[in-house]
Amino acid sequence: MKWTRLLAVTALITAIVLAACRPVSGRDKLIYGLTLSPSSIDPHAGASSELGIPLTSVYDPLVWLAPDGQFVPGLAQRWEVSADGKTYTFHLRKDVRFHDDTPLNADAVCFNLQRIVNPATKSAKAIGLLGPFEGCQTVDEYTAQVLLKTPYAPFLSAVSQVYVAIASPTAVKRWGDEYQFHQVGTGPFMFQEYVPNDHLSLKRNANYRWAPAFFAHQGPAYLEQVEFRFFVDPATRAPALESGAVQVMGEIPPVDAARLEQDLKFAVLKVPVPGQPLQMYLNVVKPPLDDVRVRQALIYATDRQAIVDTVFMGYSPIAYGPLCRSTWGYDSSVERLYPFDLDKAQGLLEQAGWRDTDGNGVRDKDGQPLALETVLMSWGFVPEVGQMLQQQYLRVGVQLKTQLLAYPAALQVASEGKHHLIPFTFSGSDPGILRSAFHSANADGGFNWSKIRDPQLDAWLDQGRQSLDTEERTTIYGQIQRSIMEQALIIPIRDYVNLNGVSARVQGLRFDAQGWFPWLYDVRLD
Amino acid sequence: MRQFVIHRLLGAVPVLLGVVTLVFLVLRVLPGEPVAVLAAQGGGTAEDIARLRQEYGLDSPVWLQYLCFLLSLARGDLGRSLFTHQSISQIIVQQAPSTVVLACSALAVALGVGMPMGILAAMRPRSWIERVCMGLSLVGVSIPIPLSGLVMILIFSLTLHWLPASGRGTLSHLVMPSTVMGLVSAGSIARLVRAQLAEILREEYINVARAKGLTESALLVRHALRSALVPVITVVGLQFGFMLGGAVATETVFGRPGLGRTLAEAILYKDYPVVQGMVIVSAALYTVVNLVVDLAYGYLDPRIHHE
Repeated sequence: MKWTRLLAVTALITAIVLAACRPVSGRDKLIYGLTLSPSSIDPHAGASSELGIPLTSVYDPLVWLAPDGQFVPGLAQRWEVSADGKTYTFHLRKDVRFHDDTPLNADAVCFNLQRIVNPATKSAKAIGLLGPFEGCQTVDEYTAQVLLKTPYAPFLSAVSQVYVAIASPTAVKRWGDEYQFHQVGTGPFMFQEYVPNDHLSLKRNANYRWAPAFFAHQGPAYLEQVEFRFFVDPATRAPALESGAVQVMGEIPPVDAARLEQDLKFAVLKVPVPGQPLQMYLNVVKPPLDDVRVRQALIYATDRQAIVDTVFMGYSPIAYGPLCRSTWGYDSSVERLYPFDLDKAQGLLEQAGWRDTDGNGVRDKDGQPLALETVLMSWGFVPEVGQMLQQQYLRVGVQLKTQLLAYPAALQVASEGKHHLIPFTFSGSDPGILRSAFHSANADGGFNWSKIRDPQLDAWLDQGRQSLDTEERTTIYGQIQRSIMEQALIIPIRDYVNLNGVSARVQGLRFDAQGWFPWLYDVRLD
Repeated sequence: MRQFVIHRLLGAVPVLLGVVTLVFLVLRVLPGEPVAVLAAQGGGTAEDIARLRQEYGLDSPVWLQYLCFLLSLARGDLGRSLFTHQSISQIIVQQAPSTVVLACSALAVALGVGMPMGILAAMRPRSWIERVCMGLSLVGVSIPIPLSGLVMILIFSLTLHWLPASGRGTLSHLVMPSTVMGLVSAGSIARLVRAQLAEILREEYINVARAKGLTESALLVRHALRSALVPVITVVGLQFGFMLGGAVATETVFGRPGLGRTLAEAILYKDYPVVQGMVIVSAALYTVVNLVVDLAYGYLDPRIHHE
């Protein structure tokens, strides 16, 4: 028994020593917690928002999308658009240097745009952002001209995003396939190292002098170092913030956010993310949803306030249409279309011929029950939302047959059209993203999971992407949103709000127009 | 002896090939494809999906993909992840240290807790000590890691603030994960050691040694343990192999990078090259570990000859 006592004492001493050796963050180093989805972090190739969060501070865009919604000079100090909308001429700053001290010039800009469309890059997102990109040519050392096949309204918005990063050609050529581990940009922070699943570290760029005016200061950033750590399991995120392991943590679950708001040591930054809300697509070609009355009944029967209060603790606004309220071009007329009205829902279902003839609580017609195949996925609280919808629809006699699928399997079911309801969301600051979701070209094999083929809607979607007239675009997108809701193609649930837990020591943190990406340039730690 | 080793290694090759082929086929037969996930992240169109499929070579027939895969395997090229574009060998080299460190420390905990518990229980049969030890080992084996892991985080990180909740880097990051994993194995090891030792302690030659005046501890070390340990070593070897590959739950709960988590994610997202590459590597590792275990047998039990 002497051994056991010795063992106990050793364990005690070890515990005390370990407790004393916890890492403490100084005033110069910020530790930022993110989730992580498997993706290349090469901004030209990858598509995840998690890559954008650190890299927004490593690269400068040609053009910034300022907080007031205007486009502001970045690496390009001025630009012109040709009358036909197919040529953009960017006049670059002459004083910018990459982190490897090579100069920024028109050759570098064209090199980057061409890299994005190069098949060898296997771009998942940047190439889509560039739209009808045809080519890039250097007019002179500091003037680059971009040619498009057709006019494309979202172009400046695309170019303002981190995915169209302007990287040092020297570094890209030097590192080839391994570039994602040795990234070189022009931004206020330099890329230091990335160990997948573990951490990504950035270091201050002491030579940074070209910040746009809407930032609070000029010159180098305040923080000396930033380290990003990954927390895939949502349950571990708030604990990591509360234990001081990180000073900022993104995508905090609503329950934890409610608790953090009570604590004076922390604040919760609620950042609305523009784009599509969390919505359930309704498959319009699969009976009984081919009857618009049934689809409309479902929307009337959805108590979205209850869902937002229960699952999202009131942190998200209710969504009324295919775009979030914070998106440019949002049309508020959709808010009047479908108030929560159980009687109206029942009436529509009766009209459509669905009655509960056998008294089991589920309506039927011609011997078939009103049962809908509902695919659920494990992201974004979809299972909880699905559960609430199931309960709510039973009140009007509609049964949801839910199945929870892994992401690839769910995408397969959706592309084959075997679903009645399936959730989707996609973020982006330009309403042009609606084209992927509702154009008939994307009904087979694309993400138009309501399978709608409406020539009028197609025409509007194409026009909205090409017209450069802001007023015309606003009108068109208004018509698109109303048409989508009048045809009841989706059940909108909630606008996406990114809940960020922030230590009270962090000052000056803001997020960009895309809602996901933090601007660390002005951040100071007390 | 050397013949034995070579014979075993050669015999492993068709097994590895069979495993790889099976995984290759199963991945492609199950519903869902990785390209759709890639395109979904970018909000793409039907054209984007078709383009990505072509760029990744996933639009060619399965048998052609298989042949290309075997050819690159012969060249030593395990391919690149469809999602992160990292080379598989690089992924393994980067993620392995964390898992190996975790598995080794978990093994240390398992042996350090399991062996003494088993020995103690065997030395004091039918006493309260035996009942406590066996009860604890049952608890260790039965509690699922997500539960024990989260409970430990709750107590030691959130309430007492003694240990970090997740991540890696310092020794304190290793304490909870290795304890959680180790206690599961400790349970199995304790029960096995107790059973083996109890049987041996009943043998005649043990009584003879005691009668000759040998102390209990010398008895234990020089006679009883050596015979008892032979089956225990097999189990320990298997447990270690399991820890190397099956650290998924621990790595996820404690936010540690590692092979288990990488593989689980790759399977979920159908990242073909990662799953294929890691299966080959773990199958090869398992072969080596089993070989080492068999060789250890020969050392411990002179009756076993390797032909």
